Order: sequence, then C-alpha cells, then structure tokens
Amino acid sequence: MARLLVVDDESSIRLLYSQELADAGYDVVTAGSAAEAVTQLEAGEFDLVVLDIKLKNESGLDLLQKIVKERHDMPVILCTAFSCYKDDFSAWLADGYVVKSSDLQELKDEIRKVLAKKNR
Amino acid sequence: MAVPEGSPLSCLLEACVEFACCWTKKELAPGDCPNIGEGEEELLSAHRRRIVEKCVECPLFADDLLRFQESGHPLSGIFSIVINELLDLKSQLQSLGGFLNSKTREIKFLHELSLVLQTSVDLDEVLSVAMTAITAGKGFGMNRAFLLMADKEQQALRGYLGVGPRTMEEAWHIWEDVNQSNLTLRDMARLFQKDKLSSEKVKFNDILERLTVPLSEQQHVFNRALRQRKPILVENAFSNPDIDPALAQLLGVDSFLVMPLISRHRRIGLIIADNCITRKPITNQDLQSMETFTFPVAFALERASLYERLQVEIDKLTAANSKLKEQQELIVKMEKMALIGRITSSIAHSIRNPLMIIGGFARSLLKNIEQDDTKRNYLETIVLQAKQLEDVLEEVLTYSESLHPALDAWDINQLVIRVQDELSGLFAQHKVSCVLEPESELPKVSIDYRQISYCIKTILTSALETITGEGKIVIRTWRDDGVVVVAISDNGTPLPPEMVKTLTTPFIVTQELGVGIGLPLCKMILEKHGSPFIIENSPEGGTQYIIRLPIKEGM
Repeated sequence: MARLLVVDDESSIRLLYSQELADAGYDVVTAGSAAEAVTQLEAGEFDLVVLDIKLKNESGLDLLQKIVKERHDMPVILCTAFSCYKDDFSAWLADGYVVKSSDLQELKDEIRKVLAKKNR
Repeated sequence: MAVPEGSPLSCLLEACVEFACCWTKKELAPGDCPNIGEGEEELLSAHRRRIVEKCVECPLFADDLLRFQESGHPLSGIFSIVINELLDLKSQLQSLGGFLNSKTREIKFLHELSLVLQTSVDLDEVLSVAMTAITAGKGFGMNRAFLLMADKEQQALRGYLGVGPRTMEEAWHIWEDVNQSNLTLRDMARLFQKDKLSSEKVKFNDILERLTVPLSEQQHVFNRALRQRKPILVENAFSNPDIDPALAQLLGVDSFLVMPLISRHRRIGLIIADNCITRKPITNQDLQSMETFTFPVAFALERASLYERLQVEIDKLTAANSKLKEQQELIVKMEKMALIGRITSSIAHSIRNPLMIIGGFARSLLKNIEQDDTKRNYLETIVLQAKQLEDVLEEVLTYSESLHPALDAWDINQLVIRVQDELSGLFAQHKVSCVLEPESELPKVSIDYRQISYCIKTILTSALETITGEGKIVIRTWRDDGVVVVAISDNGTPLPPEMVKTLTTPFIVTQELGVGIGLPLCKMILEKHGSPFIIENSPEGGTQYIIRLPIKEGM
C-alpha cells in the first residue's frame, strides 16, 4: 500500500483527503505546516507528497524546493486553489499539478499516474 | 441770335442764305433735329454741345459745309480743317474711352480674381479659379492652360493639371455652354471644381505625364521663366532654337505663354497657356495682363498647399490626441479592471477551499448512503450546487487572469487536440463526434495557451448544448493573411441572432448559473489577443464560431 503525505493548513481538507484517499486504498499521513511535513518526512518513508501551495504564513513552493533538494526521488503533486501557479517556474519542479475541486477524481488519477511512473 | 460780325459763323451766314441743318438755332424744339433721341433732350438748349456732339456728324451739316466750301469764302478751307480735326479728336477720345472701359473691366476681373484667391485655402478651389480665369472668355480667354507644380523632393517641374478643349468640336460645346450661362468667375470655377476638375486631370494625362522638366535643366524655357521671374511669350516654337522641339511637338502649337509662379522667392510652379483651337495670336497685351495675375495665383497656391499640409498635420495631431485619450481611458479602465480582478481573485480563492470541503464531504457521504435513503437527494443537491459554484469560480478566476495574458508561440492544432482529449468523455456522453480538419504545417500563433484552451473548451461545450441527439462538431484550421483561423461548427440548433448578440455581451446571464460569462469571456480574451469572435450560421446547419489568432512574428 502506497504511503502518502498530505500537506495542507486547512484541517477539514486534511480530513477529507485522508478519508477519500484512504478509501482509494492509500495509507495517508497529514501535516498542517511545512515544519510538520519536514518532521514527518524525516521520521518515516513516503511514496508521494500531496502539497498545498498557500500554507499559513508559508509557501508550499519553498517546501517543494526543499523536498526536491533533499529527497530528489520523492514525487510531489501540487494541489492548490490557484490555477495560475501552473505557469510559475517554481511549480515546474513538481511531478503533478491539480486544481482543488470537490470532485477528488482528478487528484486520485494524478496520484495513480505519478506513482505508476515512479514504480516503472 | 446775334452773330458777331466777321466771325466764321457770320461768314457762313453770308455765304449760305438757307441751311439744311439746324445748327444755327440756339434753341430747338423737340423733333427739330432728327439726331437728338430720347433721353438727349438737354441738347435741345445746349447749343455748343449739340454742335460738337451731333451737328459735326450730321449729313445735313456736311451738305451745309460743302456749300460753304463751294462759295469760295477764304475761311471755308480753315473751317473744314477745324471740323476734321475735331472729328479726329472725337474718334481718339472714343477709342481712349473704349480702352479705359476695357482696362476697367480687366481691373474689375483681377479684383474679383484676387478676392477669390485671397479668401480661399482650398487647393482645388484655387486651381479651379486660376485655370478658369485663364481659359474663360470673361477672363483671359486663352483656349488651353497647363499647370506644372514644383516637386521639391524630385527637384522637377511636374505636369499637374490641364484645362481646355482637346478638339474643335469639344471647344464648340464648351463655348456654347459658357455663352448660354451668365456666370461669375467664382461660379464658373465652382462648377469646374465640382464637375470637371478630376476629369480634366485624366483628359490631359498623356500630355501632363510628359510635361516633366528637371529644375536643373537651366536652358529649358520653363526654368528660364522661373529664373527671370517673368513670363515668356514663345513664338515660332517649331523653328525656335531656344525651344525643345519635343515640347513644341507635345503642345502642338507654334505660340504659347510660359508664366512662372513664384511666391516669396519660392518656385511654386508654372502655367502654360495657348490658343490651340482658334490659333489666335498671343499678344504682348495678353502677356502683360497675365503677368499681374500670376503673383496672386502663386501666393494662393502656396498658401493652399501649406494649409493642406497643415490640415494633414492637424488631422494627425487630432488622431494622436484621440488615440492618447483612448489609451488614457483604457489605462484607467485596465487599472480598475485589474483592481476588480485582484479583488475577485482574492474572494474566489477564499471561497474555493470551503466550497470544495462542503462538496467533497457531501460526495464522501453520498458514497456511503443507501440508494433509497431520503437524505441522498439532499446530498446530491449539495454536490451539484457545489460543483456549479466551483465552475462559476473557475470562470471568475479565468476572467481575472485574462486581464494579463502571457503570450507565447504555440501550435494551435496541438492545443485543439489537447482540448479534444480533455472533453472526449463529454463528447461520448452526448454521442457527439468531434472532428479536427487541420491544415498541416501551420505557423505557430502568439497566444496565452491556457486562455485560448479555455475559449476552445467553452465554445465546444456551448456547441454541445445546442445538439440534441447524435451530432457532429467540426474544427477546421487554416492560415489566412497573418493569422491562423480556427472555425468550430456544429449541426445543432442554430442560435437566434438576438441570442448571438447576448452571448457576446459580458455578464448577461442567459443560461443557468455557471455558464453565463463563458462566451462573453471568450470574446474578451480573444479581443485581448487581437482576434474577433464571430458567431454565424454554420455550413453544417448549426452555428459556426470563428476566431483569428495572430501568427507569431518570424514564424
């Protein structure tokens, strides 16, 4: 079972993602801040990170850079309310980009695709 | 009447007992003299004036004089000399009067001419007045005139306008028309400007084209006239060694006038006038009359052409000013729109998270609820409404992003294929086929990829909505004059014209919430890309949407 780290500062979203992604067959761990995410990543093994861009007083893109720098083999999917970051150079480091929607199908499809690529 | 003794009259009285003429009578009654007509009654009592004005020319007086001469009176010879001298002087006076009258008419004409020339700043009007003055009988009465203008850039005199008849027949018609009308010079010039100016330019085009002389050709008669600042009367043109035989051949006349037009030391041009039809000799008198006319013409021509240039500059300035105003308004509008965009974007992002949480949890709950549970309906409504609100948010965000398109070079066929792929599920669901008929090797277009993808997507979904049952959408692309055209046509129900108008008017909600700004937004995005958004009836029977995307420079 693939292990996912979901990073979002909104607790309800963390809850929704945990529930939905667990239903989709993933082992889900959540983090509400960049610092918490770093701690989680250091403490355990993950197959993929789902990362929000706008974290409270922090930028998800900074965390993305840190992850890519330190764990270059760790796939990251950016999941954000902003579609404009898709054109942002920093966002190109991510393996996937999904605009937040109440329908989580696109996110699930993207996770499946990225994991398949990683395991190839 | 008492006649002094020894006076010629007393001698005459002595010589002739009876006179046929009434000249001896101081006072006459009406009808006494057959030469005094109506309106000349005062001559009946003005004895001296009557003798000078009437008697000396009267045949009866001539008879009396003859009898007096025959009488052999010593004064009869002297008397005849005096009378003949008087008649000569009278004739000279009359001719002088005629000359003065003609000069007065000439001055009046020149006055009228200069008045018209002074008050006009319209180049065509000045030309019409000048050329009419030369060729009209009321003016200088020449048969034909050519105007050559100095071309500063080319440093040459160039044929500009020719006026007059080309054949005897045409001349006959023109002069008959002129004789029948009693128009002033200004009216004639106006008629000429209105009806003939353009056609005369064309009529003499063959001659005008060949009437080009470089200003450097010092010995040419045109340049000589300009240099001397005086008109030249050319005579015996065909055998004159000072005249280019080609010029004489071109004009086809032996005699013509060359009048330089000079204003404040500037060479404005030149007028050639001749009598090509009547062959009437051109006199020095004609030359002198026209010399006085050339200065006001040159001045008026210069002023009119300066005014014309000034007008062009003013027009440019006015256009620049209005463009500037438009730009200023646009900047203000864009700033406002950008502000609205930022506020909208901020609000939309704040709403998006709670909305996805509501919708997401509703979906989550829906998965775990029994089919026959009454609460299922509520949850489905929440899911549906949340989705619609998310779509509205997407459009609002696209709108605010559309204010700042990021242009780059893209392959439009690839973009269309991507959008087709994205919507393939929707097409299958509606049983509609979507076919791309691309022109191969199209150049790349300068567009914001995401925005144009949005437009194509919106057009395709709008097209889908008009198709009931199985249908077909055809996307054609081709290159056309600096743009790549994308035409999307469907075989759905054609849109009524009022609907088309409404569809491209921003923010009018014509359909259900969520799709209200789709097509208007497309129009705005496309306009920002410099493309029109055309919605018309399609060859497939439905609606056709046409966009024209600019080709990336250098592609």
